[in-house]
Amino acid sequence: MHPFDIKTVVLAKHAQHVVLIHFPIALFIIGVLFDFLAQWKKQRLLAAAAYYNLLVAAIATIPVVVTGILAWQWELEGQKLKGILLMHLVMGCLSSVLICVVWLIHMRTRSKQAEFLPGYRLPIEAVAVVIVALTGHLGGFLSGVNGPG
Amino acid sequence: MRRSVFIAGLATLTLGTLGFGTGQKSYVASAQEKMSTMEVKIDNFSFGPATLTVPVGATVTWTNRDDIPHTVVSTDDSKTFKSKVLDTDEKFSFTFSKVGTYPYFCSIHPKMTGKVIVQ
Ligand SMILES: [Cu+2]
Repeated sequence: MHPFDIKTVVLAKHAQHVVLIHFPIALFIIGVLFDFLAQWKKQRLLAAAAYYNLLVAAIATIPVVVTGILAWQWELEGQKLKGILLMHLVMGCLSSVLICVVWLIHMRTRSKQAEFLPGYRLPIEAVAVVIVALTGHLGGFLSGVNGPG
Repeated sequence: MRRSVFIAGLATLTLGTLGFGTGQKSYVASAQEKMSTMEVKIDNFSFGPATLTVPVGATVTWTNRDDIPHTVVSTDDSKTFKSKVLDTDEKFSFTFSKVGTYPYFCSIHPKMTGKVIVQ
């Protein structure tokens, strides 16, 4: 086992996917929280905090999706998935898309220098948080965080 | 004289057959005992027994009794065996034709490890 071998680094007994996943989950949920607070308190500072959290969350989904797909392709040799693994893959992809969509809505509003964010983003954000939480729950179940050692 | 030789011969043959019979019987019994232990159960994120010793030619069957999918992948240099993802109650079997120690793990949960010693 070589420490700089790409397969060893990405997978092997390190399982980077389960480490990296915590970043977009935390950033996205905090970002949405700030956005709801900004909407409620009508504060620009909170809206800016929301934007940067969502931006980094969207960036952080990239290594997570890559390591997840690599784990599937290398460790499981890309075999047809079923059951919890398939559900986790589908929900994971959906979560990543939703995180990026939410960030895009914020980014477009900023680039147009518009005063207000569209109201429809709030239900999308709420649904996205639920989907992300469900994906994380499935991932936790799969990785055995509730199991021994 | 001839008759006594015949009787002695018959007795030897009978005893021999009986002896052979009982010998075979005990061999079958011990083989059956061994066969029953050639199964590894996967449950609660662990392989049980974690170390299994089997004779050459034995077939080991892994059964996933867990709610979570697992795999059985050997980690020796020649990667002797590799199962697909085993869902609940799915099985994987491998016949060991060479003496050696075969460490293995679950590629979904690398902390799950086991070993088959073939003697
Ligand atoms: Cu496993």
